Amino acid sequence: MSSATWRNFFTYNKYAQITARAVRQSLKESERVVAEKRGTTALKYQQWENGVGGPQVFLNSEEDKK
Amino acid sequence: MSALRLLSSAARRAPSTLAQQRRGYAEVADKISLSLVLPHQAIFTSTDVVQVNLAAATGDMGILANHVPSIEALRPGMIEVIESGNASKKWFASGGFATVHPGNKLTINVVEAAPLELFSSEAVRANLQEALKVATGNGSEEDKMEARIEADVYEALQHALGSK
Repeated sequence: MSSATWRNFFTYNKYAQITARAVRQSLKESERVVAEKRGTTALKYQQWENGVGGPQVFLNSEEDKK
Repeated sequence: MSALRLLSSAARRAPSTLAQQRRGYAEVADKISLSLVLPHQAIFTSTDVVQVNLAAATGDMGILANHVPSIEALRPGMIEVIESGNASKKWFASGGFATVHPGNKLTINVVEAAPLELFSSEAVRANLQEALKVATGNGSEEDKMEARIEADVYEALQHALGSK
């Protein structure tokens, strides 16, 4: 199975993230630790109503608190 | 048509003993202005270089001064920069785009890249085995495609590290 048909499953952004992750995981130990941090993403959102903000919530709850 | 292109680029990716092509004549007068940037780091910023060898999605290519303006998507592979004489530096990039602008400028934007010395062959081999296991396993089509993409990156890395 070739990866030429990745378009059927992923957007380009997702594809670029996958290849970047693969490159980061192949670095030497010392470099890899620094690089892994670049790969982490986390999202927090807050609902506002009538000028009052609700609680700030992590999109991925427990996973992102690390 | 695209199948033909896939075939020819696959053939070009096969390990070859040919060294990277260089210009035949003595010292090159014209240089191209290169900017090679990552989201977190700028490796080159408008630096004059003699030649840049890229792994474009449509095949390997070498960019010299006064190249016709073009936009090329890069596949995970090696970027080789020849600044002057015979000295060349190599990076392995995860992919991105190379744009030749009018006015003799080349901009390469990649997501992740590192000099070849910073990679570990052991890690690449282990990662490749892992990825191939998932790619040929029983997961969802999406998971298998993800593993197949990673396996392609590791195979390209092995090729780059092997032909240093």
